[in-house]
Amino acid sequence: MNPIPEQPRPKDYKSDVKPVWCPGCGDFGVLNAITKALASLRLPPEQVALISGIGCSSRVPAYTSLYGFHGIHGRALAVGAGLKAARPDLNVLVAGGDGDGFSIGGNHFLHACRRNMNMTYIVMDNEVYGMTKGQASPTTAPDWTQSKLTPSGTLSRAFQPAAIALAAGATFIARAFSGKPNTLAQLIVLAMQHPGFAFIQVLSPCPTFRPEQKEWKNIVRPFPADELPTSDPALAALHCQRDDGMSTGVIYVEARPVWSRSEMEKTTIEDIEQEFRS
Amino acid sequence: MNSTSDSHALSIALVGSGGAGVVTAGNLLLEAARADGSFGLMRRSAGPQIRGGESAALLHFAAAPVECAGDYYQLVVAFDWLHAQRFVEEIPLTAASCVLHDPAGGDVPEPIARTGARLVPIEMHAPATEIGCGRANMIALGLVSAITGIKTETLTEMVNRSLSAKGESMVMGARACLERGAALGRSLDIDLPIPVDPDGADGRWMISGNEACGLGALKGGVRFVAGYPITPASEMLEWLAPRLAGTGGCLIQAEDELASVNMILGASYGGVPAMTVTSGPGLALMTEGIGLAVASETPIVVIDVMRGGPSTGIPTKSEQTDLNIALYGMHGEAPHVVVAPVSIADCAFTAQWAVNLAESLQTAVIVLSDQLLAQSRTVTHRPPDIDFITRRVTAQRRDEAYRRYALSGDEVSAMAIPGSAGLSYTADGLEHDERGTPSTGAEDHLRQLDKRSSKLTGFDYGDHWATVEGDGEVAVVTWGSCTAAVREAIRRAGAAGLPVRLIALRLLAPLRTKQLSQALAGVNRVLVVEQTFSRQFYHYLRSRFDLPGRTECLARPGPLPLSPGEIADCLLAGTAR
Amino acid sequence: MTKPQVIATEAEFLAHALALEQESVDRYEELADAMETHNNREVCDLFRKMADFGRKHAAEVERLAAGTALPRLEPWEFKWADDEGPETGEYADIDYMMTPVQALRFALANEKRSRDFYALVAAYSPDRTVRKLASEFAEEEAEHVTLLERWIARHGADTAMQDDLDPPNIVD
Repeated sequence: MNPIPEQPRPKDYKSDVKPVWCPGCGDFGVLNAITKALASLRLPPEQVALISGIGCSSRVPAYTSLYGFHGIHGRALAVGAGLKAARPDLNVLVAGGDGDGFSIGGNHFLHACRRNMNMTYIVMDNEVYGMTKGQASPTTAPDWTQSKLTPSGTLSRAFQPAAIALAAGATFIARAFSGKPNTLAQLIVLAMQHPGFAFIQVLSPCPTFRPEQKEWKNIVRPFPADELPTSDPALAALHCQRDDGMSTGVIYVEARPVWSRSEMEKTTIEDIEQEFRS
Repeated sequence: MNSTSDSHALSIALVGSGGAGVVTAGNLLLEAARADGSFGLMRRSAGPQIRGGESAALLHFAAAPVECAGDYYQLVVAFDWLHAQRFVEEIPLTAASCVLHDPAGGDVPEPIARTGARLVPIEMHAPATEIGCGRANMIALGLVSAITGIKTETLTEMVNRSLSAKGESMVMGARACLERGAALGRSLDIDLPIPVDPDGADGRWMISGNEACGLGALKGGVRFVAGYPITPASEMLEWLAPRLAGTGGCLIQAEDELASVNMILGASYGGVPAMTVTSGPGLALMTEGIGLAVASETPIVVIDVMRGGPSTGIPTKSEQTDLNIALYGMHGEAPHVVVAPVSIADCAFTAQWAVNLAESLQTAVIVLSDQLLAQSRTVTHRPPDIDFITRRVTAQRRDEAYRRYALSGDEVSAMAIPGSAGLSYTADGLEHDERGTPSTGAEDHLRQLDKRSSKLTGFDYGDHWATVEGDGEVAVVTWGSCTAAVREAIRRAGAAGLPVRLIALRLLAPLRTKQLSQALAGVNRVLVVEQTFSRQFYHYLRSRFDLPGRTECLARPGPLPLSPGEIADCLLAGTAR
Repeated sequence: MTKPQVIATEAEFLAHALALEQESVDRYEELADAMETHNNREVCDLFRKMADFGRKHAAEVERLAAGTALPRLEPWEFKWADDEGPETGEYADIDYMMTPVQALRFALANEKRSRDFYALVAAYSPDRTVRKLASEFAEEEAEHVTLLERWIARHGADTAMQDDLDPPNIVD
């Protein structure tokens, strides 16, 4: 590979592995936004790690020229936290789907928000499980009956990613649409520049199991620019609760101390061994 | 190792509930005995209450390193008998035993009285109260010092040191109690001198299995640990937290065990040797992540401090019943390494070795410690320093495209560390080709399965695979914390004219069948000793290996540790259950 | 139509023109790859052809820009009518079973957006050189529009996408 040119292009951050995603999948837009953001930040690919779990969107690391870790279902944030703690010098991006992040990985989502490590978490939310053939996910509307697994609907309220991230303590919360890679690229840049845990929920249509989501491009609209982003959690909560989930933009930004390793007086193995002597 | 349990070891149990300070007294006694030149071991027995429950400090002293309980206790000092029925069976007594008990602490329980032990009522609480800032446990320490000959000055010095933070009046009170107890002890006609070997007492270590595992991991290079609190492993995490930070590392208390194992995967992927510490329930939660370590060839160390199972089981007591899950717990075929320390001090070596194996072989290594090793403290020789030669093989930039999972011949392929330009790759738990690209191809699957398996079976584990001692046509094959009791049993069998070989496996998987075969050459009778109900170790050995001659198995589940006596009986009688 | 943001210098204009073509190439290649992966050869070939056209146009812009220092614009700083580059299309219009005519209509929409973008620049730029260049570019894009419309006509009436009779696969 050639050294990164002074003005890297987005495609410098792509690999030669061809995505398995269905043509028309919103995840292509997210991949493009990530590569555009990294080109804008002029980050050498080897200084960025992209960590994912399992699902359609979790395939993303292999499609990039970054260091990737395609782990197991739901645990991407934990892998990312361990990597960031051990290697604070790296830029850590975590990406995945709504099932991966909010269902099987829900606990890690809560704790990643409150831990406030300096990393960016991108969830490609299509309100469905794609790789297992179209089952309802946590963000699926309760009245969606198209899955054979839940023929009467989910019987559960849909998960509210932004509101929950806010309650759990995320310090940067945004929502975006995959059909607008340039806008999303800007949000990713802001998220990566934010000191702390940045969460971006990306509405990313699934043309195969949720073809009705092709209409999202006509529905999404920005949050009122005069009110958001805010650093007031109450105002952010109000917008999250009042919104139908289709408004996009940065919702909440808070300056809070970023997780860092605990500082202790330097010691050596010899010093430690001395403790066991009389 | 030439350590032997001395059959003339002195065993002392301190018993008392709620705030009696049994564990503090036990620790002070162990430390004072070390200063006087004795080797020792202290185990703890505790009830389920967080505070105020019954508690016992079980102490053993000898002139050589001692790793197991004797068959009975010569001396019991009881402040009271609250819930004593829960653990009296852990304190076997004979008519030769002596029980000092405070009559204010209630009647001597029937199972203790029944043993025929000499019962000596002696007030401990009352004189402590009389002294003011005194405690009954200090009276007891004074008593024990007089009976065993442990120097009161040594104890006084220990007390000064450990209580100085609590204020002058506390120290004065404790010292007055020590002296009163010693005077009371001298008035009794009980003489149980503590065995000492004063040579080199200064260099002796006092260490618990949990601390030793932590130390070994640090020496092995671990600089990242993630863990979730769990009995009986939490103490290792607590010990590691400040020491990792002090040595340039980091410990994270994770939200659960699923996070723990995945966090260490992330750290190790980043090039930092990483470990998690748990017990059975946590290991069960971690198995999917351990499989990911195997498939993605990311080195990790998982220390499982075993406790009674299944489910929540008996968290405070020891058992060897996680063997099966450690060996077979992963779904799919996930070859990995399982090691187990054979003594408290060996926890340091085995943990260090585990890190070396994980790093060298780029796989998951499970260390099976157990509650008995982990929460016991020993006074023993300093564990030897080992320098392992092999390390993690990292990728260097070359002209051709980097293949993370290259089939290079020796099957350990160079691992690129994030930050290295031109070598980026995606580690994957999906089956993959040599580059790491997901593949469902039969050939890729077969080749990568073979790669992950043969790198383990072809590795030279040296002599560390087992501790082999003695000769004879009878052999005991055992592992883990059973080893100490087996060693003492073998000593007794030898004294009775039956030479017995000891083979204590340190490397449980991959099983070194060739070396085991050599170690068993000329043997016509094998006794397998383990602390399980269903004979997991015995079945494992027999599934992989033809044990020579007559085979027997002495298997018993926790919570009681196997005693040298029952093992020796089994060896000498020639029958096992 | 809302009034567009004004492009005032030749360098800024050329930066837009170059990005427009480069993004077009990147997107068509990505779509062609996706079609190849999903066994739609015809549409794959068509998108590759569109990418080739884009490469040629990008080379022309680069020739024009030789010696000019182009400003570096971040993706969100371009003065497109709609945040996204004119020739990137909508993912929602893509389907693995799409017919060549549908693919041509996708391309046609892209060319029309380009034409309109240049036409607006030509109408509103305060700079004469920019206005001249932009109207030339708009003319060229209009030719592409005509060409694509002719191709579509040659293919005859739109046929509906066929249904995939097999259910989707279960992957991970």
